[in-house]
Amino acid sequence: MENNAVEILLIEDNMNDAELAIRALRKANLSNNLIHLKNGAEALEFLFGTGKFEGRDINNRPKLILLDLKMPKVDGLEVLAQIKANERTKTIPVVVLTSSKEHPDISRAYLLGANSYLVKPVEFDEFAKTITELGFYWLLKNQPHV
Amino acid sequence: MDKKDDSDDLLVANRAIIFQNEEKVKRAAELVASNKEVDELEKRVKERTEDLEAFSYSVSHDLRTPLRAISGYAKILGEDYSTVLDSEGQRLLGEVRNNAKKMGVLIDDLLTFSRLGRKAITKSRVDVNKLIVTVLADIDRGTAAHNAEIVFSDLLPAVADYNLLRQVIANLLSNAIKYSSKKEEPRIVIESERKNGELIYSFSDNGAGFDMQFIDKMFGVFQRLHSDDEFSGTGVGLAIVQRIIHKHDGRVWAQGKEEQGATFFFSLPDIDKNSIVDNQ
Repeated sequence: MENNAVEILLIEDNMNDAELAIRALRKANLSNNLIHLKNGAEALEFLFGTGKFEGRDINNRPKLILLDLKMPKVDGLEVLAQIKANERTKTIPVVVLTSSKEHPDISRAYLLGANSYLVKPVEFDEFAKTITELGFYWLLKNQPHV
Repeated sequence: MDKKDDSDDLLVANRAIIFQNEEKVKRAAELVASNKEVDELEKRVKERTEDLEAFSYSVSHDLRTPLRAISGYAKILGEDYSTVLDSEGQRLLGEVRNNAKKMGVLIDDLLTFSRLGRKAITKSRVDVNKLIVTVLADIDRGTAAHNAEIVFSDLLPAVADYNLLRQVIANLLSNAIKYSSKKEEPRIVIESERKNGELIYSFSDNGAGFDMQFIDKMFGVFQRLHSDDEFSGTGVGLAIVQRIIHKHDGRVWAQGKEEQGATFFFSLPDIDKNSIVDNQ
């Protein structure tokens, strides 16, 4: 699957949130080419074809990255900084997903080049709606950088 | 005066100077000590504030995450096992989700309340009429439809923090709508007046009202005069109103009678508006 077209790269350490997000995307038929990675380090290896993703065709870029901020070791902001600092990856839309609107990192995320910043709603219907809408928007409506 | 008197005087004067110098040194030492104490206190306040911020971040993030899982898995269970669950089973799952949702609202309200203590206010001139229209549009988008008639015109402009005043008006209006929703013809009247150096705004409804003997509880955090079955709520809304208005050096109060409606008032100091920038 690693060298097939990847549409969504979901970077999320919380397995519950990941399962709920994937379910919402699946129901909207948006999950066929989704890859879920469980931490920031793995995500960077995937994007830059290093470590356990050595040899992956890194020109196969996801159309959308869904990025959780609070992750152990390499956190979301660090991943974001590296994505946006690299010529090959900086044009990939990154939507930051976080649990809290209290988050002191909103402005840092935008300064680092986040394309959108969303608070995950507690209520599942709203959460599913948010995830589905953003999937439709970025995968189907948005004109990607060529 | 003879010589002895002179030298006595000189002696006294010298002693006085020595005494004054000693006092000066003492005062200086005291000043240094108390400055140090102030620095210490400031440092402690800063640390406490940082602790509090980390705490609220943790509360909002870490409590909301498992709640989302509770709500989500209850929903999935209901969807994927709908053929196995009878209507009572579905109802029970609905209760699980309702309560997860309620706790989410509670967490958000509490955070709003605790954040208010730390937030600096930025005053500007606010057109209250326009602000009410904005708030009503938010209310119409958010909650279930209401049929309240809302009457206001030519309200006095306020000098206040726009976002905080918006929160005050949103809380008072949604309360008025909520507590009058069971009446046949719910009606809310908003008025303003200038009195004794204050601008006073009032929100009257013809709803459920309240017993004046509980007035003291009205503005407390988590204090409610109605059960959740009658009128849902977390009991934080009026506490937020009070905290915001107090931060503006204003007052809040209320009048009501059971089943005969309620009026909520808040006042703001009547400041010279020419010195303040516009914010429409």
